[in-house]
Amino acid sequence: MENTTIHPEQPPGQADYPYVIEMLNITKEFPGIIANDDITLQLKRGEIHALLGENGAGKSTLMSVLFGLYQPEKGKILKDGKEVTINNPNDANALGIGMVHQHFKLVDVFSVLDNIILGIEPNTLGFLQKKEARKKVLQLSESYGLNVDPDALVEDITVGMQQRTEILKMLYRENEILIFDEPTAVLTPQEITELMQIMKGLAAEGKSILFISHKLNEIMEVADRCTVLRKGKYVGTVNVADVTKEDLSAMMVGRNVKFAVDKTPAIPGETILEVEHLTVKSKLHKKNAVSDVSLTVRAGEIVCIAGIDGNGQSEFVSAITGLEKAEPGSKIILCGEDVTKKSIRYKNTHGMSHIPEDRHKHGLVLDYTLQENIVLQRYFEKEFRKSGFIRFDKVREYADYLIEKFDVRSGQGAVTLARSMSGGNQQKAIIARELDREHKLLVAVQPTRGLDVGAIEFVHEQIVATRDAGSAVLLISLELDEVMNLSDRILVMYEGEIVGEFDPKETTVEELGLYMAGAKRQEKKEGGEENAE
Amino acid sequence: MQNKAQTKEKVSFFRKPAIQSIISSLICILGGLLVGFLVLFFMAVFSKDIPISEAFRGLKIVLSGPAAAGNPRDILFTCGNMLFTATPLIMTGLSVSLAFKTGLFNIGAPGQYLMGAMGSLLVALSIPQGSMPAWVIWTLALLTGTLLGVVWGAIPGFFKAKFNVNEVIVCILTNWIAANVVSWVFYANQQQFVNIAETKTNFIRKTISNGVSTATFGLDKLFAGSYLDVSIIIVSVIAVLLYVMLNKTTFGYELKACGFNRNAAKYAGMNEKRNIMLSMALAGGLAACGAALWCLNGQQDFKWNTYQALPNVGFNGIPAALLASNNPIAVIFSAIFLRYIDTGGSYLAGATKFNEYVPQLIIAVIIYFAGFSKFIRDFLNKRGKKKEKPAPAFAVDETVNAPKTQTPPEPAAEDAPEPAQTTGKDGDDQ
Repeated sequence: MENTTIHPEQPPGQADYPYVIEMLNITKEFPGIIANDDITLQLKRGEIHALLGENGAGKSTLMSVLFGLYQPEKGKILKDGKEVTINNPNDANALGIGMVHQHFKLVDVFSVLDNIILGIEPNTLGFLQKKEARKKVLQLSESYGLNVDPDALVEDITVGMQQRTEILKMLYRENEILIFDEPTAVLTPQEITELMQIMKGLAAEGKSILFISHKLNEIMEVADRCTVLRKGKYVGTVNVADVTKEDLSAMMVGRNVKFAVDKTPAIPGETILEVEHLTVKSKLHKKNAVSDVSLTVRAGEIVCIAGIDGNGQSEFVSAITGLEKAEPGSKIILCGEDVTKKSIRYKNTHGMSHIPEDRHKHGLVLDYTLQENIVLQRYFEKEFRKSGFIRFDKVREYADYLIEKFDVRSGQGAVTLARSMSGGNQQKAIIARELDREHKLLVAVQPTRGLDVGAIEFVHEQIVATRDAGSAVLLISLELDEVMNLSDRILVMYEGEIVGEFDPKETTVEELGLYMAGAKRQEKKEGGEENAE
Repeated sequence: MQNKAQTKEKVSFFRKPAIQSIISSLICILGGLLVGFLVLFFMAVFSKDIPISEAFRGLKIVLSGPAAAGNPRDILFTCGNMLFTATPLIMTGLSVSLAFKTGLFNIGAPGQYLMGAMGSLLVALSIPQGSMPAWVIWTLALLTGTLLGVVWGAIPGFFKAKFNVNEVIVCILTNWIAANVVSWVFYANQQQFVNIAETKTNFIRKTISNGVSTATFGLDKLFAGSYLDVSIIIVSVIAVLLYVMLNKTTFGYELKACGFNRNAAKYAGMNEKRNIMLSMALAGGLAACGAALWCLNGQQDFKWNTYQALPNVGFNGIPAALLASNNPIAVIFSAIFLRYIDTGGSYLAGATKFNEYVPQLIIAVIIYFAGFSKFIRDFLNKRGKKKEKPAPAFAVDETVNAPKTQTPPEPAAEDAPEPAQTTGKDGDDQ
């Protein structure tokens, strides 16, 4: 499979030439590194072509070459069989290449329509003429089933809608080659399904789609063909219909990856975390983000809160960890002690570890070195402090120990700036820090967000290991696969309430989906009274 | 801590943060001088009276600093005064850089400076001479001034921490409140503090008139009778202490964490509100201490009607901090450098045909360029990073695909979370 370069089946220039864009034998070197080594990518007209590879495999570099941000040392780019030179993104746009970035490039305080026409504003003598544009946007929105209100402000619409705005932007510019850069990373399961439909619709209309991802399920579902890169090298291009998920992951990672998590049945012990009637006010709307939630987590079990993003999970965790205030009447009991009003520091030092949802916002001080981040909650402990001074030698020692133990990789070891580390290693550093701290409860919020297959496997193993060592684990996840694989007990949260409790062995993804979408709810066990809205 | 790192992992010389900071500051200074020279040059070109050679002579005078004074004794005298006038500037520079380290912009240094001046003068002039030893009065005056600055700095800190009011706005307000309070206090007590017979109009009596002045330990004589006193040493010690505090102590660790990422500091259980207030209070204290040291020199006039203009030395703390990349020890040098150029500039009008506003303009240009130092540092950093490679995210053993060729390391452009690298596509990273 390795290094089998595919050459065009037909000579260029013919009428029914099948490839709309070809990148042939692209080699791009950076000093000391070959980022792309003889990579060939051929995109057929009207197909959905997946580009698969782990973080650091060379996907972004390849796309930067396509957009003219880098000039390749070797290789050429063909459009409809004719060689083209792309010197900058404007050239790429002129060739009809458009891209939906992972992090959207939208102006929050502008309307959807304003965002779409941004840069090519229709005008007469400098005065905006939006009527025509509005008509065109509405028409496009309808014909591709995008369902976007052109007059809504971007800041008011959901992430899924924002993404569809980006898609509309490309369609409005009449791009025919659409690149989606990890489009599902920010979406809820429902929105992912919708996006898949939209992508299929676009392909059916003759648009060619390049779909960059490392999520195998999505590739299996939507893509026609798939090109796999590994460590800057071309591994191969396959018809998705001919291969299995396992084949793809072996091509991507270079070894067989376990998808199922190895774990023994849970042996729950004493109650570690008890939450009673927890209510949290919402910052976005008048209703409560979390209303009257009660649950317990016991030692040696992984309890997972499943739900679609924005149903109160984040607020729930923030209240437990102390980042947000709970309403009066709420009670949080950690190891038998009421910690509702205690500080974050107190909770940290009394058995709570927390892998935060956003590693850049909460988890790390990006401008601190790795070792400084490793002791973020411990710098004041006797081990690391002597009469007000930080004992950097001890910090270094401890950081080196964790780096070794958890295999955290970085350019300069313990003194690497956290900012310059890759996302996977940043997450590993956080996990190392939180798991090595003395803890009885681990609160893990989307611990595998944005990680690739190999990294996810590692994180899951670590979580199971801490459970087996006797910790209680409260896991919040949006990925149903993760929920089903990892948890011993599943709670579904919908609109700030727990609407069902399940045993992962006895339930199905479909059943969970119904509860997550609010179509069904179990009656409350205690008291038996239904909590009507 | 950084040094220890390099024993283990070799970092190329130009990638060291300290070196990059120094290079970027030098580029700023050169840029400022170049533009300053161009100003001189074009003035000479477009003016009938000034020959072009005057532009070169002007640049030489600005560059020679105190050496422009002429004979050795005058140079020594000017040097001493340059160091003396750098003293309060170092302190306001430290004030601004401490706040910067905590992620705050202390534009309130002028107000804190005024409060420090007021506090120290009130104490130094109102305790009757002889009622207690002069050095006790001196110490009390210094502490009072510093304390007033602490309070004045804590006000914006409080509003920032409690109500998330932008500290810049509150600082600007407290600046003018300070200016008016100080004017009012001295206006109301002119009888006591202004001796018309002894002093110029609108100026407060010198503290030496009450027998209070900073010890000089012969520094004034060493520098040919200049004003220089021991305060320059005090200030340097404070700068070193501040450096140690920021880089070696848990307190400094907390302050910087709050500055870099307030959310992460909160997540880690630090009291980020308390830290914001403490940082601003300390910054205020530093600026005020600088003012107190200046006033307590004994020979300095203080203009009481300050409501008309805020003291420049407060604002000039900002370029001093920027030029020094907020490194407290480097602030000593950047402040002295700013005074150096200023000193040279002050001879420009007398020695050449340029008028007295030209040196001010050149200094302004250099200060303006100082603002670019972070930009240049980031630029150097980005250039350096392109050549480096982050380590691969995860170990991949090559068991499936047998040939163990030398695998290329990970490409730099991939996956590194620094936005400047991959999102350049839309040119939106500034």
